[in-house]
Amino acid sequence: MSWLRNPWARPRGLVIVTVLYILWSIVPVAIAILFAFNNGRSRTSWQGFSFRWYTGSAGSVLHDPALQGALKHTLILAVICVGIATPLGVALALGLQRWRGPGGGTINTVMLLPLVTPEIVMGVALLLLFLRVFPGIGLGTPAQAIGQVTFTLSYVVVIVRGRLTSIGREFEEAAADLGAPPRDQLRRVLLPMLAPAIVASAAVAFALSIDDFVVTQYLAGDSSTTTVSMLLYASARGAPTPALNALATVALVITMATLALALLVYRRFAGGREAAAVATLEV
Amino acid sequence: MQGEIRLEELTKTFGEAVAVDGIDLHMPPGEFFTLLGPSGCGKTTTLRMIAGFEQPTSGRILLDGTDVARVPPHKRNVNTVFQSYALFPHLDVAGNVAFGLKYQRLTKEDRRRKVKGILDLVRLGDFAERKPEQLSGGQQQRVALARALVLMPRVLLLDEPLGALDARLRKDLQVELKAIQSDLGVTFVFVTHDQEEALTMSDRVAVMNLGRVEQASSPREVYEEPRTTFVADFLGVSNLLDADATADGGACSLRIGERAFRAEQGETGSRGEVKAMIRPERIGIEAHGAAGDNRLPGMVERAVFLGGSHEVHVRVLGGELLKAMISNDGSPLPFALEEGTPVTLYLPPDGLRVLASSQEPESTADAAARPVRTAPSR
Repeated sequence: MSWLRNPWARPRGLVIVTVLYILWSIVPVAIAILFAFNNGRSRTSWQGFSFRWYTGSAGSVLHDPALQGALKHTLILAVICVGIATPLGVALALGLQRWRGPGGGTINTVMLLPLVTPEIVMGVALLLLFLRVFPGIGLGTPAQAIGQVTFTLSYVVVIVRGRLTSIGREFEEAAADLGAPPRDQLRRVLLPMLAPAIVASAAVAFALSIDDFVVTQYLAGDSSTTTVSMLLYASARGAPTPALNALATVALVITMATLALALLVYRRFAGGREAAAVATLEV
Repeated sequence: MQGEIRLEELTKTFGEAVAVDGIDLHMPPGEFFTLLGPSGCGKTTTLRMIAGFEQPTSGRILLDGTDVARVPPHKRNVNTVFQSYALFPHLDVAGNVAFGLKYQRLTKEDRRRKVKGILDLVRLGDFAERKPEQLSGGQQQRVALARALVLMPRVLLLDEPLGALDARLRKDLQVELKAIQSDLGVTFVFVTHDQEEALTMSDRVAVMNLGRVEQASSPREVYEEPRTTFVADFLGVSNLLDADATADGGACSLRIGERAFRAEQGETGSRGEVKAMIRPERIGIEAHGAAGDNRLPGMVERAVFLGGSHEVHVRVLGGELLKAMISNDGSPLPFALEEGTPVTLYLPPDGLRVLASSQEPESTADAAARPVRTAPSR
């Protein structure tokens, strides 16, 4: 066992633990994806490769109305969520960054609260809100969208503020110095410089929205407001077919592609260290 | 000619800290005016107030006779070269330079011509399509200069623009900056903590300390005829000694320790406790025992070889340490440059300066330690 104590040797113990962890976390997902391509109804025994659960004539993602509806609703919610959370979050980040009065620290903390609040607590709270305080909105798509915006907003603010802090004030000052009125300082200097962070935060919001289960479930209305994650949860214990795996795979691919794109954009235009920070947030 | 700045009772406080303490300055059109001082002395805050980034707590900023203290920066006809350059990273060199031209009513053709003209002036004609990150520090500095100068400001403000460059490049750019300033006739207000830079480039220098102007005059005057001990100390090397002044004909007799010295410079009318000041290069070192007035014995404590000269530290009778500079011109020395060599120092009357003691400000180190915010740190 001398290699375990040899300080110059590679830290094999750590390597083994790391590899085991990666296998443990990836293999089940990989198997689930694999069975999305199973040429049979089983989700446990392999019967050959096929795309039948994606494009087949019966019960596939493409042709089963329930799966189709869930996927469509998930994407619609994600687009609404990104469309609202991103501009709102950017505006909030700009406002908070330039906030000079008292109470700035408190507001910062409050902005971060949704990041640490257990989602189930937020879900219950939002449910009560829509049932008792704003019954006019009712449960369903608008409530789901508002709920998702509520917690994705914090991520947008955190990412954009991180970038803002590293930009500093002198670029705005330089723009003002060169004659740009405040509107142009924002439009011609700050927003272009923030673009990578804005793209990244939009992608994170998109991924969070697609992933979300708890809040979306609580605020769901009828069956037309079922999302992919809700459908997976509901039917996991029923009589599932590999079509569910296929649906999950589609959702996974969309999420991963979005995040990869965001990371790429961010890394292209901003420093590597910040990109790493964003990558950490995504998980 | 335009580009005259007059600061009247200009004051800026950040909470409890007084950054600029009621300064009055006049910068005539076309002058290369330098604000010199240690960090925290208020020079950058003063510049930022002229630019419009900070609002004065009180006082007036007159630009060609009009008070602009409440005019936002984008409406002031002054431009700034930032210490960090603040070039827009998403625009190329031409885009950076053309940024402000958008706000002047120009045809597209005029705009292009102006950008090209100014880039040629700063010798960056071939770099128009580069991004700032692809340029060296010196080139970035010149883009920042071009971006501000292309707008033909009445006054150009420069906030330690050479601070981030290495020594050699600094020297080159000092000459270049000065040449551009003379050619264009634009008023330059230049902020630096580098006394050499201030002396070589400026028409006039305002030495600042603790938010006040200690002295504002020509480079030769602030060096040769400092009015306060702070100025004497901050510019170059000075020997400062406690002395007691009495009348001596038209001049002044200074009692330093046990000896009397005749001083012909400075406030020779002062009486009582004063400071005596002499530059190292004005002190003569003679062989031990040399006779005559204005001389005192001492012992070499250290000799520092500086290349063109030797800086000799001499401990004189009474315990003070004086620094003397002797030129390394090949002439034989009547004494050995070794520790412990007894010598005689000659303090010529026309090199010995009387500074009134009452004007003594806090030392430089205290000023730097004071929590005065001059600009948001990056």
